[in-house]
Amino acid sequence: MSTLMFEGFPKDLVVGDLADGSVTLTVDAAVYPLEAVYGAAYIFIDRCFVLLDRPKAGSVSVTLTDKKGAADAGALRQMAGEFANELLTQAWRQKIVEENRVLLETVTMQALAGATATPAEPSLDDLANFDFTEEAFDDPLGIAMSWEEKYKKKTPAEVAGEAPAEGAPEGKP
Amino acid sequence: MIERRFHRDLYPAAALASAVQVYERFARFEVADEGDHQVVRITAKKPERERRIALELGNYALGLTRKEALS
Repeated sequence: MSTLMFEGFPKDLVVGDLADGSVTLTVDAAVYPLEAVYGAAYIFIDRCFVLLDRPKAGSVSVTLTDKKGAADAGALRQMAGEFANELLTQAWRQKIVEENRVLLETVTMQALAGATATPAEPSLDDLANFDFTEEAFDDPLGIAMSWEEKYKKKTPAEVAGEAPAEGAPEGKP
Repeated sequence: MIERRFHRDLYPAAALASAVQVYERFARFEVADEGDHQVVRITAKKPERERRIALELGNYALGLTRKEALS
């Protein structure tokens, strides 16, 4: 067994084995939750053989063996670096999910409740019995009135009918 | 014969048993409990084959573990 240390990695945390074509990372469980380790390991199983172990309480070791075999030191270092990056991504994702769990559950519950509830649709009988003569609402300021209705040119008769009321001096009997 | 040790905290017994069941037509398996680990001893016709099956078994057990955790 020819053990190998990699530049840029802590010596006791990342160890390579050239003969086996594998690299072993030791992860502190207090820094990276187990779910993050599982997530990162699962992503790597398409190109590596992954074996997890617990060398001591509070740490997890991850051994990555290249599927193609005969990996050189550079390839092992690359593999370890990519795994470490993926581990960080998974840990961060896990943290975001934990922080937003309540919000996610609330939105999901509301969406499911909305999808399952059956709205009370009016039947044709209800439509036939509906009283259309009733005024929908009062509109004293004429807001709901169309522009044509509000500003149309008035006929002389209409002007004559309004003139005394508008033209009467205010405050006089 | 080759040996692989699977920690109980990391690999549920059901996931490992299912993985062994999948690969038992390629080699002979013996599973034993040793402390915190389940130890799987694999015997095949050639050492290379034993090593390959051991590695594949590890990946398969990890996949089942992850699947179980998500379901």
